[in-house]
Amino acid sequence: MRALDRTTWTLTWRLLRGGGRHGLLAAGLSVAAAAVCTTLLLLCVGANLGFGERAAHADWRSPVEAKGDRAVAVQAVDTTFRDGEPVTVVDVAALPGAHGSAPAPPGMPRFPAPGEVWTSPALGTLPGEETTGTLGREALSRPGEKVAVVGHRPGDPAMTTERGTDPRRPGDIVTPTRVADFTGERTADGYGAQYQDLMKLATVLVVVPLLVLGASSARLSVSRRDARLATVRLLGATPGRIAGMTAAEALLTGAAGAVVGALGYAALLPLAAEVPVAGGSWYTADLWVGVPTLLAVLAGVVAMVTASALGGLRQVVVGPLGVVQRSRAPRMNIVRAALFVAVLVGYWLMSRGKELDIDMVVYFFAAVFVALSFVGPWVVGVLGSLVTAAARRPATLLAGRRLLDDPKSAWRAVSGLTLAGFVAGFFVLFSIGGGTPWGGPDRLALSVPGDRVAQVQQEVTGRLERAGIDAKVGTDDDWVATGTGARGERQVTATVADPGRLDAARAALTDVVPGRRPVTGEEVGWQREQFAGDFQKATLGVLGAGFTVAIASAGITAAGAVLDRRRTYGLLHLAGTPLRALDAARRTESLLPAVVLTGASVLTGVFCAAPLTLAGGSPQFDGRSAALLAGCLAVGFTGLAAASAASRPLLRTVAHTAGPRPD
Amino acid sequence: MNQFPSPPPVLSGTGLCKSFGATRALDGVDVAVHAGESLAVMGPSGSGKSTLLHCLANIERPDSGEVLLGGERIDQLREPARSELRRTRFGFVFQFGQLLPELPAVENVALPLMLGGTDRRTAVQRARQWFAPLGLAGKEDHRPGALSGGQAQRVALARALVGGAQVVFADEPTGALDQATGQDVIRLLTQITRQQNAGLVVVTHDESVARWCDRTVRVRDGRIVRETAEPGSPAGAGTGAAR
Repeated sequence: MRALDRTTWTLTWRLLRGGGRHGLLAAGLSVAAAAVCTTLLLLCVGANLGFGERAAHADWRSPVEAKGDRAVAVQAVDTTFRDGEPVTVVDVAALPGAHGSAPAPPGMPRFPAPGEVWTSPALGTLPGEETTGTLGREALSRPGEKVAVVGHRPGDPAMTTERGTDPRRPGDIVTPTRVADFTGERTADGYGAQYQDLMKLATVLVVVPLLVLGASSARLSVSRRDARLATVRLLGATPGRIAGMTAAEALLTGAAGAVVGALGYAALLPLAAEVPVAGGSWYTADLWVGVPTLLAVLAGVVAMVTASALGGLRQVVVGPLGVVQRSRAPRMNIVRAALFVAVLVGYWLMSRGKELDIDMVVYFFAAVFVALSFVGPWVVGVLGSLVTAAARRPATLLAGRRLLDDPKSAWRAVSGLTLAGFVAGFFVLFSIGGGTPWGGPDRLALSVPGDRVAQVQQEVTGRLERAGIDAKVGTDDDWVATGTGARGERQVTATVADPGRLDAARAALTDVVPGRRPVTGEEVGWQREQFAGDFQKATLGVLGAGFTVAIASAGITAAGAVLDRRRTYGLLHLAGTPLRALDAARRTESLLPAVVLTGASVLTGVFCAAPLTLAGGSPQFDGRSAALLAGCLAVGFTGLAAASAASRPLLRTVAHTAGPRPD
Repeated sequence: MNQFPSPPPVLSGTGLCKSFGATRALDGVDVAVHAGESLAVMGPSGSGKSTLLHCLANIERPDSGEVLLGGERIDQLREPARSELRRTRFGFVFQFGQLLPELPAVENVALPLMLGGTDRRTAVQRARQWFAPLGLAGKEDHRPGALSGGQAQRVALARALVGGAQVVFADEPTGALDQATGQDVIRLLTQITRQQNAGLVVVTHDESVARWCDRTVRVRDGRIVRETAEPGSPAGAGTGAAR
């Protein structure tokens, strides 16, 4: 490509190096923005892949029934609790005649002999059992996971008694299953899949503001470059050469930023691995994206930065006598507003009265983001018309005219904040938390066949007395513990007087009913509670990232706008125009659309969450989420004001230096 | 010899010195401009002519010497007062780029009035009155991007004068224009400032621009080396010859 020949690279490199303080600042900001984009993108991709890795390491605990006579072992799973944390217990037994050929379960050097107990490092020991060995990484989805593998004989009650599954905690209980190996299968009904969907959603929510940030930084570079490029045009460079130089500079800054971002990702990996999600921290290797994906992300960031720079250049058509000014304000078509309304109405009709489906939410979010990006500039244009018509003060008039003059640019500055506002608005109504209705935290329950209730009740009382645990034993018809679903099953309960002895009571009651472990009502909902907690954290993280990126975009855009108008600012200053008037115009220009658009997007978010939350019959207004929303908005607007204020020194500098200098 | 004593100058600089590091840009310059009079400042690049304009316009503070506006010393004012003075009593026309691209021409002209506290409707009305005399009728609502270079300079001239400036400073006002348009702009500039009884200081490289002014001072190495008056101008009538 001739536009990117050696001359182009040489000229670009010289202009980059000789750009002065402001030029270096602009180039530095471009590099920084590309670096932040790269790091966050890699972390998002890494987390997506990480959930996949976690799931892959837990697959073996979801046994697949062996076909025909290929079974070599029997496998069953149950989940008990220690200190409120789940402990996965995998019971295995080699089938007669196959002992020698039964493969070792993942993370173990051999198949466990009957009576052996192998535990994960975080678990240490099972109550009342001696540990034979430690499970390796292959058996575990995360470092802190508590897993035990218990060896049995095939005829042991634990391996022959049917276990009832519980839809409230998918994957926690698996009835004895004859297996040909320990490959297992990926469960689609568990929270694991929802975590992956949640991560996809978070990635969409973070990536869009990141694209805005990348575009803002590229636009800033163009602002800084245009005067120099105009000079090069004057010297006879073709528009193709100018485009080539713009692409070359964007490639250089984008590549530098992408490399810095990749280094940042590598440096942050150990820290990211410590972030507890879905029960605990990560194996660092699980968050590593791999070289091909790394290179693909880097190439994507560089391509995005280059495309943004070329797009920005197209807008400020560079002529030999400088940047050609637009002769009339662009008109924003009302079709944009119609499209936005159509998306919302379509969504409302499709989602009314339906249960939440995260996949649908992901697609919908993407659709609303696109719709917001369409309607945003139109709203800014309308706002500009209103402000201009009503303006009495020069600063307001200037702000209104600027909004009207370049609504897309004004939208770019606040789009990140608007999108973050939409997310915040969505989650203020939407809450998946909520207490469990299945009994107290100190009452253990066992599901018992109706004809054995009296016997088990007596056995429970005796065992607890022998263990010296003060507890009230009784029966209940609430559905707490999981049975087989057979008619006549009842719950035998033990309410422990000292909650600190709950785990001791649990250990004492192990195997009272073969294959069934006592649980409390709180423990039954552990997956839901954990997901709700992580959902809240993810919301906070996404909002934090969204607002941070939005504020950075706003700051960069504000700096770019100052540099764009540096000559005019300088001359107006020389002519006695107070800088505070120019500054007030800038402030109004950024804060006014931010307040209006973010307010509107919060309401859009609430509107969109309403059908999902109303599906249950009544809206769930979550006080914590509302406080979170208010906090985020307050921080967002403060940050935006600070971002605008941060470019005030730049305004002062350009006002004092950009005018004609004595020769 | 004049029959009547000449009125005091509206703007004068006496013994002006200004250095930038080791470079002496002005070295004891005395200059004055009267109400309704136009003064061209010429000289080669680096001679100090723009520095002289900046010192007279209170953009730069001279190292020594004094600048009087209507008999009041202005070179010692603090920055806010200097800005206000430039906005309210001076007008500026630069080579290009002084118009805000977002504002229609009439609002560019009205801006100094609004900054001075005039309400928008009145400011715009007053600004409109300048368009016809400057040959800009019908261009009021055009944005700078839709104006030719000469039209943009005339809008800038209207903006410089709309607030009732006592002195207008023009730094290479025709530098970005073709010869014919440049002559048109300098003609209007000198005529209108004379009609408004405002002083005019024009920095230029162009002899044909300087010829429109009543007097010309030539600057070299920070000093005025020659002063000439155009025949027929008030100054020329007084002195009649180059000095």
